Amino acid sequence: MAENKNAWRDFNLGVWCDDINVSNFIKMNYTAYNGDSSFLEGPTERTKKEMEKVHSLLIAENEKGGVLDIDTSRVITILSHGPGYVVDKDTDIIVGLQTDEPLKRGVSPFAGIRNSVQACNAYGYEMSSKIKDEFKYRTTHNTGVFRAYTETMKKARHAGILTGLPDAYARGRIIGDYRRIALYGMDFLIEQKQADKEKLAEKEYLDEETIHLLEDLAKQIEFMHQLKELALLYGYDISKPAQNAFEAVQWLYFGYLGAIKEQNGAANSIGRIAEFLDIYMERDLKEGRINESQAQELIDDLVIKLRLVRHLRTPEYNDLFAGDPVWVTLALAGVTGEGKHMVSKTSYRVLNTLYNLGSSAEPNITVLWSDRLPEPFKRFCAKVSIDTDSIQYENDDLMRRLYGDDYAIACCVSAMKMGKQMQFFGARCNLAKVLLMALNGGKDEIAGDQIAPEGKPFGDDILSFDEVYNEYKKYLSWMARLYVNTMNIIHYMHDKYAYERLMMSLHDTDVERLMAFGVSGFSVAVDSLSAIKYAKVKPVRDERGIITDFEIKGDFPKYGNDDDRVDLIGKDLIEYFYRELCKTPAYRGAHHTLSILTITSNVMYGRKTGSTPDGRKAGEPFAPGANPMHGRDSQGALASLNSVAKLNYACCRDGISNTFSITPDALGKNEDDRISNLVTMLDGYFEQDAHHLNVNVLNREKLIAAMADPTLYPSLTIRVSGYAVNFNKLTKDKQEEVIARTFHQAM
Amino acid sequence: MANIHSFESLAALDGKGLRYAVFFTGCPLRCVYCHNPDTWHKSSTDMSADELFRKIKRYKPYFKNGGGVTFSGGEPLLNAEFINEISPMLKAEGIGYCLDTSGSVELTDAVKTALDNSDMIILDIKFADKENYEKYTLGDFSMPLEIAKYCTAKGKTLWLRTVVVPGINDSADDMKKYAAYVKENGISFEKYELLAFHTMGFFKYEQLGIENKLKNTPALSKHRLDELQKILDGELNVTA
Repeated sequence: MAENKNAWRDFNLGVWCDDINVSNFIKMNYTAYNGDSSFLEGPTERTKKEMEKVHSLLIAENEKGGVLDIDTSRVITILSHGPGYVVDKDTDIIVGLQTDEPLKRGVSPFAGIRNSVQACNAYGYEMSSKIKDEFKYRTTHNTGVFRAYTETMKKARHAGILTGLPDAYARGRIIGDYRRIALYGMDFLIEQKQADKEKLAEKEYLDEETIHLLEDLAKQIEFMHQLKELALLYGYDISKPAQNAFEAVQWLYFGYLGAIKEQNGAANSIGRIAEFLDIYMERDLKEGRINESQAQELIDDLVIKLRLVRHLRTPEYNDLFAGDPVWVTLALAGVTGEGKHMVSKTSYRVLNTLYNLGSSAEPNITVLWSDRLPEPFKRFCAKVSIDTDSIQYENDDLMRRLYGDDYAIACCVSAMKMGKQMQFFGARCNLAKVLLMALNGGKDEIAGDQIAPEGKPFGDDILSFDEVYNEYKKYLSWMARLYVNTMNIIHYMHDKYAYERLMMSLHDTDVERLMAFGVSGFSVAVDSLSAIKYAKVKPVRDERGIITDFEIKGDFPKYGNDDDRVDLIGKDLIEYFYRELCKTPAYRGAHHTLSILTITSNVMYGRKTGSTPDGRKAGEPFAPGANPMHGRDSQGALASLNSVAKLNYACCRDGISNTFSITPDALGKNEDDRISNLVTMLDGYFEQDAHHLNVNVLNREKLIAAMADPTLYPSLTIRVSGYAVNFNKLTKDKQEEVIARTFHQAM
Repeated sequence: MANIHSFESLAALDGKGLRYAVFFTGCPLRCVYCHNPDTWHKSSTDMSADELFRKIKRYKPYFKNGGGVTFSGGEPLLNAEFINEISPMLKAEGIGYCLDTSGSVELTDAVKTALDNSDMIILDIKFADKENYEKYTLGDFSMPLEIAKYCTAKGKTLWLRTVVVPGINDSADDMKKYAAYVKENGISFEKYELLAFHTMGFFKYEQLGIENKLKNTPALSKHRLDELQKILDGELNVTA
């Protein structure tokens, strides 16, 4: 690759030069940084000027009810919109917007036209008849899915035991390896895909999967060419590799931009990019092309663009994923397979954007934590958490065993190997409601419909744990089979009608697929089983004979207090459900994975679930993710963490989400103590093979004040469930739920 | 066996690093400003040293950075023998403990052993004079002093604490008295911190049907607490 000589000057050459292998490139070239944050620079005058514009845009967006503008005239795709700038062509350094104006949203009806029409209407817009006409002759993903759905699937979906599925919106959770564009240039990547396609066509028998893949590849190549054109619209030629740090950031961002113009999936993450970009920064710094302030400015400007990513959503969608998130999840740090930490100066620079540009929910900065990260970096992360409540932590020592050392995080907690694995996202099923269904012989406790096969009715006596758990397991098996088959339909149709052409072109052709299932209502189900086992729980029926409430006598151990009597019920429950899921094969040979993550749908799921045997009343929210139920973790923060740490990541390898709020006073007397204590807490939690922690260090009073008067804290950011939101963007019921969560405080 | 009121798995303020706090029941003092009157009497939780040790051991991953167990209460030193039973188990695991005590116990051999084996001691200096001590508590003024002197002689890490109650000990003069008490008695300490009287424990008095003698006393403001801490530090020649 002689023409790459200049682009690759001074790089250590290796196997990455001949084949696509970004991981090898990083490991051979990155500079580990052991120092502290003192080298960091503040924002430049230019950055400040651009941020002023951003602030005024955000205020205007907020004043217009959350959506600044929608281009309803045309469908958004890679080449639908000409160049757009935040300030102007000369001021923006990193360029590229989804449409021609910042925060103007595009209409992308490929996953479902009805949803797009409703979304336009919800904000006072009308979709153009041109788009409506175009989609008369085009099948959307949503239409395809509903053609194939069985009656039981529709019922389960309607009742809320299987909800939030990506059957009317785009699935997301796929991370293109955008770094490839910077390192190799588009031409090389296109050549590789063409070679893959030719090789595939040589097969003697072209079976259905091969033909499917041949078509996929043709779509990928078509969109790779379109991406080159998109860059040309902004005056850049990305056919060849990036020559310097600016180009590396810009090339990579063009890839991401093209992907989010083509797709409006639920979570479009950007991957593990900091340490990659740092190699270009270090080279430019050494060559004297840039100074530290300019290096920071490049990262600041990239992050500004990432903060402006918007998709058009319906209010129903907001119920599942509150606060208008896009999950530009950016994973950083971690350790190599050889045990060397991967913290670079650019890992710091990314975190520093939270100071330079102010705290923010996006990008969703995720620190891949390991006990081997250098102490100054751990302390800087803790400081950023305490100051901004904007970052999350995931256990690199745990994930590295399964995903190697070049994985990233999609959405909140979903790990996948960069460019080598993709995911079929599957929302979640409602474990608490399945329990009520088991108690009611397969009937929905709210509507009274028979949804699951009829089962053995329970009497009016005190419930026996063994009988209940046995029956529950039967319904969980039924649920698991239904869930896998439902997902198979969804992803068959998504591949067919809304395939992620550009994102998948930035993956290996023989990609490994993961099918990500999920559960909600985990702590409610576990505490309910514990109540039945250790207290006396009697069913209460309504006039239809359906159990709608419970009489609970006596106390019972509750999940979140490091008490094995109940915690091990939870561990067993989740392991059982995972095994049951694995019994039904997944579409396209995908591997089954499972998460305990609710995003913010814990409120909606709770609304759709009757009273439960743990004493939770009908309609009340669930706890988010794998969190103990609000206020039931009474033995303090570490006991709560220890309970969650017992859950087995091997069967929940799509993530175990835990959101943790502590008041500053409880964490330590002064800043230095708080930082040390938070670092020690993270080390201690992750040492036990726990997976994820969202950290909020704040007082409940601050949230209550912000709820009453949002202008007090306009950029108040908090971690909710695998991601951060601007508190003021949450609906009132979700704000209330967040305030009701356990805040670990000083006594 | 020991009777235990409750646990707090993250007690970052009661000692160094992250602490697992064990609250024993039972205290002879009856301080008028007590915010934990619910620890005065026995609870339904009795635990053997072995049981408690297993519970504590679960938190070992968090005990870096100087952290460990804090035995609090109630009065932990009323359980000195129990502490001496659990202490070798903790030691074998490399877990240290801190005693959060009012010092109002006799300096028996068991108490001495418990103090000797501890990483550090947090000692309440309730009042600097006998008159007030006896007015507001049921304790013996000489006992905490004996404990403080013993800790000093043994070179133990000692933190002193005083709860400041509006109208009782919240004047600059009071601070001078505390400083004089510490200096005159030659108590050597690492830190002397003032704690603000608060009203968050008031509901417990109502729940327990115990008369709350300070029910009309307001909480001490953070501002005043900081002022008093500065005065005390000045008297003690401590730089914050």
